[in-house]
Amino acid sequence: MSALGSTSSTSYGKTITVAVLLFILLTFSFTDLRYQTWLRLYEFFLWLETTPFGVIGKTWGAVFAVVEAIHLLAMALLGGAVIVGDARLLGWLFIDVPAREILDKAHKVFVVGLTVVLITGIFMACGVAGKIYWLPVFWYKMLALATGIFFVFFIRRPLLRHPLEEIHPRVTKLIAISSMLLWFTVAATGRWIGFAGS
Amino acid sequence: MLVSGYYSWNWLEATHVLTLMISIGSLFIIDFRMLGWVLPDVSATAIADRLHKPMIIGFVIMFITGILLVYAKPVENVQSLWFRIKMILLVMAFINAWVFNSRMKAADGTWDSARVAPKGLRTGAIISLCLWCGVIAMGRFIPYDWVDCPKVSNTALLWASGCVEQLNAL
Repeated sequence: MSALGSTSSTSYGKTITVAVLLFILLTFSFTDLRYQTWLRLYEFFLWLETTPFGVIGKTWGAVFAVVEAIHLLAMALLGGAVIVGDARLLGWLFIDVPAREILDKAHKVFVVGLTVVLITGIFMACGVAGKIYWLPVFWYKMLALATGIFFVFFIRRPLLRHPLEEIHPRVTKLIAISSMLLWFTVAATGRWIGFAGS
Repeated sequence: MLVSGYYSWNWLEATHVLTLMISIGSLFIIDFRMLGWVLPDVSATAIADRLHKPMIIGFVIMFITGILLVYAKPVENVQSLWFRIKMILLVMAFINAWVFNSRMKAADGTWDSARVAPKGLRTGAIISLCLWCGVIAMGRFIPYDWVDCPKVSNTALLWASGCVEQLNAL
């Protein structure tokens, strides 16, 4: 009974935390706070261009291009990990291999891909910070990326730590489809930054 | 029409690049498995067989969009040093893939559950990774104008980029 009570209070705590976060997010999105924050960030973006990353990115086009290529390769690796993990959840691939094994290993590859994507992405952003600040698609990409990271580490992973038999098949499928759509959005908005900035 | 339409060109190029996540992503997982870096406890041929389909779908989309991209800007692409290197690497990558597949079929079943593939296949996987990294890097360099014909004075570079007018003017 006490164990049940403890589980119930933990779930209750998580629900309250999510509700509070949602409230803060909505308040931020639909009030003047968002615009004020955006204005204040301009100085920060100008400072980014003066950092070593920013100076290298602006001065040596070849270095910027090589980092861009590494960014693409890391995106490919991230995509491969997402396909393997989510296709297993959807029952499209590797149905004869234990899901736990595929999901855990694919997550490790995903983390490596994401780390490289973030490092190279920060480098590239520093080089063109003054330009991307004005592009709405850059902010959409940041929003998609933040949502993707939050989704993976605070929803997908904690949920899939439970035995899969205990989770409703529709939930696992929903998780897989959401994950694929989120990462596709991250990649697509990222590509669009190049078009919008040119 | 493809170039002048803002959305047609952007969607075409974006599809070409985004399909990387399916084709090259699957290829990376297969090659990494051969090297024992990912999913070493899962049968190597199972990984290769299951990821073959998404990988081929990705490559077909990449080829169709790639051909359309070249068709839209033929001179700019054909006279690009990066495009030419990319094509050479692409041909080498396909020859390597063919050799790799033949070797994998020849060694069928004897090494499947081993954490690391036999030396020949490991070599093939490393060559594949290097060639595809090169293909992607060269593809990314194509829009840069470092070696555009009017800007080049080096004869070897002019020849490599196929800058006939500039070569004749020398």
